[in-house]
Amino acid sequence: MNPKENVYLDWAATSPPDKQILEECLERSCHSYGNPSSVHDKGKEARALLEEARITLAKAVENRIAAESERQGAKAKGKIVFTGSGTEADQIPLLSVLKTALCKPLGLKECHIVVSAIEHPAVFAQAKRLEQLGIALSVVNPETDGRLLPEKIQTAIRPQTRLVAVMAVNNETGAVQDIGEIGRAVQEAGKVLGSKDISFHVDCVQALGKLEISLDPVLVGSAAFSAHKIGGPRGVGALWVSKSMEALCAGGGQEGGLRSGTENLFGAMAFATCAARAVKNLAERLDRARSLEAALMEGIRQIPGALILPECRRPGDRLFSPWILSAAFPGLGGEVLARALSDQGIAVSTGSACSHLERKKGHRVLDAMGTAPELSFSSIRISTGDATEPRDIEQFLSICADLYRRLKT
Amino acid sequence: MDILYLIKPGEILLKKENQREFIRRLVKELRMRLGEIPVRIEEFPGRFFLFADQAHAERIEFVLSHCPGLNGFARSRLCHKSYEDILNAALAEAAERVSENKRSFKVEARRSDKSFPLGSYDLSAKLGEEILNAQSSLHVDVHKPDFVVNIEIRERAYVYSQSIPGPRGLPTGSSAKLLLLLSGGIDSPVAGYMMALRGSPIECIHFHSYPYTSREAQEKVEKLALALTAWCGHTRIWMLPFTEVQMAIKRSAPEETSTLMFRSAMMEAAGLLAERIGAKALVTGESLGQVASQTAEAMALTQAPLSIPVFRPLVGLDKEQTVGMATKIGTFELSTLPYEDCCVLFSPPHPLLKPDLKEGKNLYDSLGLRPLIEESLNKAEKLKFNYRDIR
Repeated sequence: MNPKENVYLDWAATSPPDKQILEECLERSCHSYGNPSSVHDKGKEARALLEEARITLAKAVENRIAAESERQGAKAKGKIVFTGSGTEADQIPLLSVLKTALCKPLGLKECHIVVSAIEHPAVFAQAKRLEQLGIALSVVNPETDGRLLPEKIQTAIRPQTRLVAVMAVNNETGAVQDIGEIGRAVQEAGKVLGSKDISFHVDCVQALGKLEISLDPVLVGSAAFSAHKIGGPRGVGALWVSKSMEALCAGGGQEGGLRSGTENLFGAMAFATCAARAVKNLAERLDRARSLEAALMEGIRQIPGALILPECRRPGDRLFSPWILSAAFPGLGGEVLARALSDQGIAVSTGSACSHLERKKGHRVLDAMGTAPELSFSSIRISTGDATEPRDIEQFLSICADLYRRLKT
Repeated sequence: MDILYLIKPGEILLKKENQREFIRRLVKELRMRLGEIPVRIEEFPGRFFLFADQAHAERIEFVLSHCPGLNGFARSRLCHKSYEDILNAALAEAAERVSENKRSFKVEARRSDKSFPLGSYDLSAKLGEEILNAQSSLHVDVHKPDFVVNIEIRERAYVYSQSIPGPRGLPTGSSAKLLLLLSGGIDSPVAGYMMALRGSPIECIHFHSYPYTSREAQEKVEKLALALTAWCGHTRIWMLPFTEVQMAIKRSAPEETSTLMFRSAMMEAAGLLAERIGAKALVTGESLGQVASQTAEAMALTQAPLSIPVFRPLVGLDKEQTVGMATKIGTFELSTLPYEDCCVLFSPPHPLLKPDLKEGKNLYDSLGLRPLIEESLNKAEKLKFNYRDIR
């Protein structure tokens, strides 16, 4: 057997941790070990660090880091709530709808939510669970290119609609949604229907530090982020909120009552530091990602039989994140190819890494786009990151082409 | 050695001339399974007695409840053949059962030593009365008692009230070695278990098509083989890489016949391996009509490459019955782990249900798979599972 390569192309699942940042933050949090809710000095010290992390992260997600030098003290648009994961940050606004509905006279009957069909399970499965509990749910399908039309979202909104959730960047295809336009469509529908309190939630887990994010507090009510996708530790996420929200889960009332539980100071600091670093050099990093994307797409197109999903995607396409690419290898199961690649030391995944824990493996995202079943069955996801080198792409392409030729049935 | 088990062999007692041989095998098997545990086994007509230390009770009970050839066993009190001793033992047994909230009982005395002054009936009645006097919460129920105080008066007297069933069947090694086609499914481990109870040592063969199937699927099969060891004593599993065979079939055979051709090839490979390891028949988990490849016509075709019999102990069972047995023998949970043992790309959407035997055989022969099968056998990975590995 050939010596194993060590090519990691699964950054959308998780990124290698930034050891230096993690160690520094661990050191500082060990020193400031007090409970941020305590009144003594040790507590205050930890509280100060936590609030500093909160401000840093808010600036990063609101795109205020680059502007900082020009305009000191740009006003924050929303608040950061640290959570235990990106998933939890998605769950809080959805569960808040349940809490609010249960407190109203008509309860769940007067409650409706809209989600896109391509949401991460953190939103999609939670929305389905709410549907089981009696909340009406509308699922909006994307077009064949993976994009959601604002007018389709608008049409799904009813007078009872309380929440609309659309992700910024799809974790399987990299499709980028026009969050501004969708937000305006939601706002407009609200005006027409006379309902003021439609909340718009945006899952930004694959967007932070990877693409420009624009969070307009007038349009977007909440947004979810995760630390480990950008070099931070697992077990830390954040929810950005621009409007008041009521939590379903209660406890000690930390994080403005939205996420009770003693704060993870180490996680919050590491997350904030990683996010600040990621958004700082975003323009250069994006250029690099685009050039890797071009090489990858060009290489896949040269493998006989292989396809990019969706087929209309072109290198440099602004409608797709350059960090994530879905490709199909008809006649070979995506899982089989991923396994064979793994034997050669190359890490890719099939769809969302989270969906592998589900017993029945479907291809919900690609199916919703109307992708032919034989293509979605044979699809893999290749995702790059800062440490990805052109050589990694070359290695992947040559080994993948060889495996596909040999294993195709 | 402070504890005693009274062991009841089952079917072997029906054997006449060669009963000694079966008993020898059963004792040998028991000793192998008990491993290092110090025990004394005494054989008497119709009963075995096993003396051991309390510290090993749990393992001993595991061995006894899984050893083919045993109908049951009971932790027993040993006493002199005096009424006083027997009474004290019976009272102690009853007190133990009462502490487990048992409410009704009866006494059953058996007397193979006819010199004992009291007859079986009188002894039962007398002991019953004493127990009732001692335990006010108990009442007698001769039809459906919560427990039975058994008294056996033989070379010594034995008193027990808690019988645990054994797996029944014949002792391992009293029938010929068999080769089990073990998939990752629910059925084949049950089929292996059933044949193990007929006294056959079992070896397993598994076909994988890596990378079309996962390593996890192979690990699952290894776990199943280990679970079977509890019943068949020890086993080996032969992991055959069958990807090349499967690819050749996919290339050359009409799509609707591919499953049948693949199964025929598995049978041929298993037949060749059986010959090498001295197995006298194959075992499969097939059940009539369960899937397309398990019709009578399909079975006739897939076993055609063989010159030894195929045992299909589940052939007349439905899925629910098989699931029930799999749960009982502890393989169901393993079998339902979500790792496929066959890639859907190799499963035709409309498989042939009733193949013509002659046509099918001609097609199979025309594929010329023998060299690929031989190669797969040569590349097979062999794993051994010992009884001591279980638990």
